[in-house]
Amino acid sequence: MVALGAGSYLYNPRGGWAADPIKVGVATDITGPISWGGIPNANIARMVIDDINTSGGLLGRPLQMYLEDTATNEALAVTRVRKLVTQDRVDVVLGGITSSMRNAIKDTIVNRGKTLYIYPQLYEGKECTPYLFCTGPTPAQQCDTFIPWLIRNGGTRFYLPSADYVWPHVLNAYARKTIEQHGGEVVDEEYFPVDHNDYGATVNKIMSNKVNVVFNTTIPPGLAAFFKQLYEAGFNRNGGRLACVYYDENALNITPANEIEGLGSCLDYFKAVNDPAGNKLQAEYSRLYPGSILFTAGSAATGMYRGLKLWEAAVKEAKSVKREDVAKALDHAKIADGPGGGSQFVPGTRHVKMNMYTAVAKGGTFEIVAKSNGPVMPGECG
Amino acid sequence: MSVVPFVFDVLAYGAIFVLVALGLGVIASMMGIFNFAHGELVLLGAYTVYLLEQRSVPSWAGMICAPIVVGGIGLLLERTVIRRFYAAPVVAMLGTYAIGLALREGVRGLLGGQFYSVTAPLVGSYTLGDVSISKWRSAVIVITALVMAACWLLLVRTRSGLQVRAALENPALARASGISTDRVYALTFALGSALAGLAGGLMVPIYSISADMGVPFLIKSFLAVMLGGTAGFEGAMAGAAFVGGSSAALPWFIKPVVADLLVFVIAIAVMKVRPQGLLSRGGT
Repeated sequence: MVALGAGSYLYNPRGGWAADPIKVGVATDITGPISWGGIPNANIARMVIDDINTSGGLLGRPLQMYLEDTATNEALAVTRVRKLVTQDRVDVVLGGITSSMRNAIKDTIVNRGKTLYIYPQLYEGKECTPYLFCTGPTPAQQCDTFIPWLIRNGGTRFYLPSADYVWPHVLNAYARKTIEQHGGEVVDEEYFPVDHNDYGATVNKIMSNKVNVVFNTTIPPGLAAFFKQLYEAGFNRNGGRLACVYYDENALNITPANEIEGLGSCLDYFKAVNDPAGNKLQAEYSRLYPGSILFTAGSAATGMYRGLKLWEAAVKEAKSVKREDVAKALDHAKIADGPGGGSQFVPGTRHVKMNMYTAVAKGGTFEIVAKSNGPVMPGECG
Repeated sequence: MSVVPFVFDVLAYGAIFVLVALGLGVIASMMGIFNFAHGELVLLGAYTVYLLEQRSVPSWAGMICAPIVVGGIGLLLERTVIRRFYAAPVVAMLGTYAIGLALREGVRGLLGGQFYSVTAPLVGSYTLGDVSISKWRSAVIVITALVMAACWLLLVRTRSGLQVRAALENPALARASGISTDRVYALTFALGSALAGLAGGLMVPIYSISADMGVPFLIKSFLAVMLGGTAGFEGAMAGAAFVGGSSAALPWFIKPVVADLLVFVIAIAVMKVRPQGLLSRGGT
């Protein structure tokens, strides 16, 4: 690994190779408030690329990884990504975690750099830019089975406290539709600045309106204060159900376990799924990257794995790394196995169908309570 | 509308905010330097409590150590960096900005970019009928009131306090009277930092620790100090009470995003009407 200075890193393939390397660009938030997601993304990318190289590379060529730190700073990210596509001339870019980051960097990658872009994180949908492929869950995948489960295991009165940016706004529109379709009602939908930390008024409204389910889309840093104030007001004690669709094993550290007891989440993978492919990845990941930052779905790490393996399959089919050839193959690419199960791009949509799992936080870990009946359709760009 | 939760909410948030803004205000009114690293001093207080809890020290003990540790760090910063720029306060502010950035990213590296929770010394809530009041947040209100009283006594009843107030009103005359403004400045910076550290330690069970936890307080604290005007300690308290109180109260009536904006609008309006601040010192 070579540090090229100012958030740029180069991972060269080990050993001697006859052919030129294929360049893979990874742009993710290794520093800044979203670094809890960026770090596992970078780790899993290195792990997968190393694995591919050890198995003989791709099309007989080794993979070389260019890692850029987007630092949770959209303005800075654009300059770093521009370097990836115009100077380093990578053959594909994977990355971006928040929707605001994706929106900031996609034009540089897709239009200026004319490069393929794979976005690995759960998001609000409606991203239909050509040559932009999404490997994370969409609102349809996160809400269609989760919300009926919440109504059955929580109640019909919903409250939507949200961070004020694109993802919660668009997700809430979909969630509201689904809630009302299944006989629930939305008591209120409220938006807060991301760093807002006083939720007394909201908590009071939730308690006095006898809300059953808090479908939360606030994000850290405000999230911790909100959950704590909700807990202290007695929401959980009175049988209220918390729900948060990005909550994964890494998020469990944000608040004490008792404050989120019973919180429901719906993702493409949890460690508790205990599937052979997932377990193998977990073992290798913990061996290479021991510590408290885990391989999870809420931090786009499973989407990054999926993105890389599907891209690998597409390159093999297309026998080329040219964007147009790979995009044609990627359009219907499939991997038989992965964390939580295999996945496949739905032709013509650039989104992936995959298994979805509903899990509940119990005593500081997640317990799977429902599993989708096979892969769930993403319902985007169709 | 439920009166008790409302009043409690305003008091609880206001108390924490007063503690944060007071430290900044004391430094700003004394030396004319807005300490851009103030949010990070709050963070260091929180980090001290978190670190000690990791080593099985109970959080209440950590909270007693936090102001001492952060006061010491503030003193160190003042002696090494800040004092070189007293002739050019703007440059000093840039220096504090750089320090703040270094501290924030340093702590972010140590925390691995994650959020961690710390257990409050008092867990749970008091229930009065329908209403639940957090035990720890009540304790913070009481502790803040005691600390305010202690600071006021320090300034009004002790010799050092007298020197501080003298240097505040008229530095040249204070120096001519044999008061070492150098020492007074160091003491003030240490005191302001200690208050920030205490605020950080007290608030960490409520908000969880993360590298960015000091940032939202910084701009609002500046607002509080500007509102407080030239009246030093009492002014900073009045300004902080106003900004903190309205930040907590407004979301009860209007949308939170609008409420945030409105705090600034109201503060600007007040300063237009009363440019000298909410309270002002008359004469010498």
